Amino acid sequence: MKAVVANRLIDGEVVFWKSGQWVERFGDAELFDAEAPVEHAVSVGKGQPTVVVDVYPIDLVQSDGRWAPLSYRERIRALGPTNEPTHGKQAEGGDVIEALRHAAGAARSTGRVDLIRRK
Amino acid sequence: MYQYDLIDKEFLADRSAEFRGQVARRLSGELTEDQFKPLRLMNGLYLQLHAYMLRVAIPYGSLNSTQARRLAQIARDFDKGYGHFTTRQNIQFNWIKLKDAPEILDKLAEVDLHAIQTSGNCIRNTTSDPYAGATAEEVDDPRVWSEVIRQWSTLHPEFSFLPRKFKIAITASAKDRTAAKVHDIGLMLRQGRDGTLGFEVIVGGGQGRTPYVGPTIKQFLPTDRLLSYLEAVLRVYNRHGRRDNIYKARIKILVAALGAEEFARQVDEEWAKIDAARADLPTAELARIRAAFAKTPFETLPARSDAFETAKANDAAFARFVRNNVKPHKQPGYSIVEVSLKAQEQTPGDASAQQLEVVADLAERFSLNDLRVTHAQNLVLPHVKLDDLPTVFATLQASGLATPNIDLVSDIIACPGLDYCALANARAIPVAQDIARQFADLDRAEKVGELKIKISGCINACGHHHVAHIGILGVDKKGEEFYQLSLGGSGAEDASIGKILGPALPADKVATAVDQLVGAYLNVRNDGERFLDTYRRVGLEPFKEAVYAQAD
Amino acid sequence: MPKLIELVDGQARWAEDTFTALTDEDPIPPSGDVILSLARFQAEGDALLASNSRQVGVRIEPDQEVEGLAYDLPRIAVVALAFPKFRDGRAYTSARLLRERFGYQGQIRAVGDVLQEQAGFMVRCGFDAFEPADGATPEVLTKAANRFRHVYQRAADDRPIALDERAV
Repeated sequence: MKAVVANRLIDGEVVFWKSGQWVERFGDAELFDAEAPVEHAVSVGKGQPTVVVDVYPIDLVQSDGRWAPLSYRERIRALGPTNEPTHGKQAEGGDVIEALRHAAGAARSTGRVDLIRRK
Repeated sequence: MYQYDLIDKEFLADRSAEFRGQVARRLSGELTEDQFKPLRLMNGLYLQLHAYMLRVAIPYGSLNSTQARRLAQIARDFDKGYGHFTTRQNIQFNWIKLKDAPEILDKLAEVDLHAIQTSGNCIRNTTSDPYAGATAEEVDDPRVWSEVIRQWSTLHPEFSFLPRKFKIAITASAKDRTAAKVHDIGLMLRQGRDGTLGFEVIVGGGQGRTPYVGPTIKQFLPTDRLLSYLEAVLRVYNRHGRRDNIYKARIKILVAALGAEEFARQVDEEWAKIDAARADLPTAELARIRAAFAKTPFETLPARSDAFETAKANDAAFARFVRNNVKPHKQPGYSIVEVSLKAQEQTPGDASAQQLEVVADLAERFSLNDLRVTHAQNLVLPHVKLDDLPTVFATLQASGLATPNIDLVSDIIACPGLDYCALANARAIPVAQDIARQFADLDRAEKVGELKIKISGCINACGHHHVAHIGILGVDKKGEEFYQLSLGGSGAEDASIGKILGPALPADKVATAVDQLVGAYLNVRNDGERFLDTYRRVGLEPFKEAVYAQAD
Repeated sequence: MPKLIELVDGQARWAEDTFTALTDEDPIPPSGDVILSLARFQAEGDALLASNSRQVGVRIEPDQEVEGLAYDLPRIAVVALAFPKFRDGRAYTSARLLRERFGYQGQIRAVGDVLQEQAGFMVRCGFDAFEPADGATPEVLTKAANRFRHVYQRAADDRPIALDERAV
């Protein structure tokens, strides 16, 4: 399973693709089980340079019956920094946030680009 | 302190206006992200994991109280109420919106602050000794030369598109608090036999993937030739530094490839061709800058303060603070006070808006309106009267700023790591907090003595792990955060690169491993020997044994 | 063909480009001004200049050193300094050396990935002609080149720098 993430240009907020829109909550993200719609979402996002930047797909993993980003990095992006538990998306709390915080199993996401080179 | 004149102020206003236009052009789509990125980076604006991050320059780590209050205001109005001080004496705000960035730069410019060249492949903010103008150790005030370089390097027309970033540090004391030997250029002011001043010029130090302690390419550069010599170094680098591979583009790679001697020869050859009359700073301008730093209005005080001695005798907590955080001042009756940003559970180097305001008030009332940032991510009140120390201590204590742990085991340098940084492989902050918790007992920490732990979340080494007594590098092992320990590094005058201890450890084993390392050190140390010196005497083996023997 | 902008007395303006930039494969046209690669200039420059009927310019890549041109500079009308990427800053050094060290009086032209953001730096280093890659107009370039009321370091332009202003 995959989702598509980006940063919103105007404020840098992490956003997730949902049926042609960009939404702020991982819990609202569209989950894909096929490659073609992922590629479509990424290509639409890359065609919106004044809306979002750094559009890429991320791998998801099932943990306790819910889907969570596979990599620590993407979980932290979906939550906020772990040293400030009231900052970022995690501030609103709730089931989805708690589940993400306790998601088990991690691996390097295949969606992860080489960030150092990208810089 | 140096005061910006109309020229400096108009320059900042023009820069701010330029960036406002660039942001507007980016938002309208006129500039692509590829074109915009280097422009925003040259204004210190990164896109990180959760938001944009703005790195504000603190030239040579020196702030007045107005500036510190403005940083607090920006933290409150545009961020989530805090800022993060970095190993290059800058401050970073983690939650910035692109649309707000021009307004923030305007507000910074109003108090003579800016974000110019805090990123990008240009000459970065020059760092210096946080004790400058206060310590008796120094042979000259390094801020004078830092300010000379600030002006010379600001929007340098020839050197704004270098192969890679370029960092300069200046110290004038034998005890190096700037990590000069692991900078692209480290300048160490020395007094010559005839009493004249010169710089020992160290070029090509650095950390990252290929760490080097920089070689000295000039033993004694007369101070009046500084700018022409820097121009020669930068020109050789701009022309011959590698541009085909980002990992090999720093000057250290060029210096290592050519050899220090050949590099020095090429610099000298170029230097000889430079018109010194145009390139070097005229005496009158140097005198103008020097005068700005010479006017510190110290009072004539007795060397001994009864109020101070009494408080020390009666208050054990104050006495401990004095032992660890108060350093000798060149002026009788004054002291240098380190303000630790490494309290238990605090993110290393973070200060809340309220804390910044408290320190700004203290600087204004008790430190001649002067505040410094250290490369170890702490703050310094450089000119506090001994008489005022008890009051300053009590005020700091009330705001969680009096942790008496400078250079002790819990005074940990940590980069933002995977909690914030788009480049990180692993978190650094929680590891630092774990270790600090492990050594919460201050008696024990004092018994252990000087021990510099530094943590980086990736090989770029912003957390200086290569030059730590105990270095910790976060790595990504199949998606899990692991940490590689190294021993025996130093970023000070006795600079060295640490050696890897053994296989990387999972996050929950790191604090225990540090404890085991400390245990091994206490077992074999000689009297008065620092951790680093013990390691240098006995080598890696006893430490390896302590950490890995039980694991087998 | 990119349009040429020249800078005269701090003002940028459209200019007719009399030069044809030739690749090493292009035949030399029977007449007209030409810009050649360094290698081709070294091979064919003497012959072309001998006819006295046209002006000759040389294109210098970032990894080529302008020192190699020093002897020929008086008879070279244009030195075109290439920016394969705008991030490649070697041409700034080349331009300063041409102006400040070799006293070159002819045109220094920025070609390649030339963006308005760089104009201020370029002008200070001695460039006086531009083939903008971002569609910048003379108005935009003039503004970009004069954006800062003050500068801090001496370069190829004769602008008074901050310390000169302070000394007044």
